[in-house]
Amino acid sequence: MGNDDPGGKHRILMVSDFFYPNFGGVENHIYYLSQCLLNLGHKVVVATHAYGNRSGVRYMTGGLKVYYVPWRPFVMQNTFPTLYGLLPIIRTILIRERITVVHGHQAFSTFCHESLMHARTMGYKVVFTDHSLYGFADIGSIHMNKVLQFTLADVTQAICVSHTSKENTVLRSGLPPEKVFVIPNAVDTSMFTPAVDRPRTLEEIVIVVISRLVYRKGVDLLVEVIPEVCQLHPNVRFIVGGDGAKRVRLEEMREKHSLQDRVEMLGAVPHAQVRSVLISGHIFLNSSLTEAFCIAILEAASCGLLTVSTRVGGVPEVLPDDMVVLAEPDPSDMVYAIQKAIYMLPKIDPQDMHNRMRELYDWNDVAKRTEIVYDRALKCSNQNLLERLSRYLVCGAWAGKLFCLVMIVGYLFWQLLELWQPADDIEEVLDFTLPHNHEDEILENAQ
Amino acid sequence: MDLGLGGSNSSPPRPKWRKVAYGGMQPGYNDNHTDETFLEGMVMNASVVKRDMLKVMLDSVSISEYLCIVALVVLVWTYTLSSSLDENSLLLIDLSLLVSGFLILLFTQEMLSLTLLLHYALNISFFITGLYVLAPIYQTLTRSISSDSIWAVTVSLLILHLFLHDYSESTVKAPGVLKNPALTSCISVNASVVASVFIASRLPSRLHVFAIMLFSLQVFLFAPLVTYCIKKYSFCLHLCFSISLMVLTLSFVYTLHRFLFVLLLSLLVFVNLVCPYWLIRIQEYKFEINGPWDEAKLCFDITD
Repeated sequence: MGNDDPGGKHRILMVSDFFYPNFGGVENHIYYLSQCLLNLGHKVVVATHAYGNRSGVRYMTGGLKVYYVPWRPFVMQNTFPTLYGLLPIIRTILIRERITVVHGHQAFSTFCHESLMHARTMGYKVVFTDHSLYGFADIGSIHMNKVLQFTLADVTQAICVSHTSKENTVLRSGLPPEKVFVIPNAVDTSMFTPAVDRPRTLEEIVIVVISRLVYRKGVDLLVEVIPEVCQLHPNVRFIVGGDGAKRVRLEEMREKHSLQDRVEMLGAVPHAQVRSVLISGHIFLNSSLTEAFCIAILEAASCGLLTVSTRVGGVPEVLPDDMVVLAEPDPSDMVYAIQKAIYMLPKIDPQDMHNRMRELYDWNDVAKRTEIVYDRALKCSNQNLLERLSRYLVCGAWAGKLFCLVMIVGYLFWQLLELWQPADDIEEVLDFTLPHNHEDEILENAQ
Repeated sequence: MDLGLGGSNSSPPRPKWRKVAYGGMQPGYNDNHTDETFLEGMVMNASVVKRDMLKVMLDSVSISEYLCIVALVVLVWTYTLSSSLDENSLLLIDLSLLVSGFLILLFTQEMLSLTLLLHYALNISFFITGLYVLAPIYQTLTRSISSDSIWAVTVSLLILHLFLHDYSESTVKAPGVLKNPALTSCISVNASVVASVFIASRLPSRLHVFAIMLFSLQVFLFAPLVTYCIKKYSFCLHLCFSISLMVLTLSFVYTLHRFLFVLLLSLLVFVNLVCPYWLIRIQEYKFEINGPWDEAKLCFDITD
């Protein structure tokens, strides 16, 4: 499966609401995956919505072409769901770029869901990557799961970032498990290197926290844990990077226990400066309440920090047991885990840890594994509208019929567009390849 | 990709598959490999409570008890509006309700202190004085509106009140309770107060208005507290009290109107028999999934 035939180069369209200049795990994933796929000789185009005045076509490193579709975000960087509004422009992009595989990212991106739907209508092969976990209990999740079921009912292949995420996705969407691949995120180890120039002393132990300070990231746990650790270990200092609704709670805690000199609050840390914050510490603390796959842990481990994390979601799968100390999301257990980490600390060699991370995670490896998924997707047989409608119909008593109706209207709209603006009238773009040295420069460390 | 880290994965034919994300693709396994440990961590219907029919029926008694209380209030309103209940007897009812409610509170709460008694008495006197002063305003409040619209609004407000009422506790708390009531129960109480004001505004004299307002407010604000205290004191007493209240209400309604009697009776049967049975039946369809993907719950209270 690993090596595809020389002619089998794919032309991939990545679609998601989340892309640069916005920053986060999904954006990072799309960028690195695209770069590595370009390196493997595939053509990659990214489509996302416009960010501010960044609208139209842009080129990024390595000739990565990005379409910023002039479609305003509506809430939390998501476009307003219009069902068919995106069809004309997505169709034009698909035809212009002669796309073969459409790859959507993130379950709560409306842009991704709509694009995948239209791509399926037009008969393209579709791959979907799920980056997050959802429960089954609250109204938001139930609604989200129904939308996901709609998109995934007809997706050719799906990818999840951890085994826990795969279990979750299979349950939510009813996909057969063999159609769901597990391909984790990776980390650009060349960007996250341990400090070499600074001698490492353990007289003062610095614990670093970098996350958005919101409920889901477990800030309330931090509020309980930090004072206790400070009381038990007079040589421990905390550095907290990030901003969010719960920042006030942390600051209150700092005032209440008079820990101003021992808990440093940095506010939001730009991604470019994350490394410099990480290397000033010894232990990285992650207190998330839910996490499909935690890239922050990878970045910290790559910088040679020992990680203490809550045992939630896909986190236990991320690192070998000797590189991470896991704790239940409970203050006393977390304090215990931090103490354990402090005792382990003298045995940890940051450079050794970094080298191990280079072995364990590599974006090129991720790209190769994703390539296999694309190959699989292209081998799937084409299905006509009727066959596909039967899949939607089984999605639910009412929802199934509704989904069918949406698909039929989408199909008619597409046929209308074919008449109005035939595919032959759309100009196809010329392909050009950049000299390869530029890309090698970016990824030389990862290879 | 090298996978030589931790674990016994060096045995030649096919190393054991591990549930890990690191170390690249596991040799011998595709990325879509589904192990037999797949969905091992899933727990179904973990927190489902097995419900007992009798228990649910007994619990639903408090709902029908409150329905009867509201029905009694509406009865008093209709009798007053049709002038078959004069203001003096209304005031007598007010006074007896006040005293009996007070006594019940004192006996069930078991905290007979003089300061508390004084505190109560002072508050109630303030309350009554305020109401008396405001009575003329209430009397002329809706003069320009027809009685039909007032009745329509009142009925809808009462339905809203019953719908949002907090049947498990009382909105008006005994002194010293810290927990704030929920928004819905506050809306419920306000709806009932507005309904009382509307009804009072249709009455002929100030004393009437005062008496009916006092009566309605006493019942709407303090009846839940009193019944809650009784229930907490003794469940048996609560049952006896509720059943006698139901019988009393049904007999009064019967003398007023046959159709309303049938309506109330069927409502009580629905609440006490049909709904519990229904709840037990739909329990079968309960399908709850939990697993490692769930958001962890904090095991302590967040005090903001």
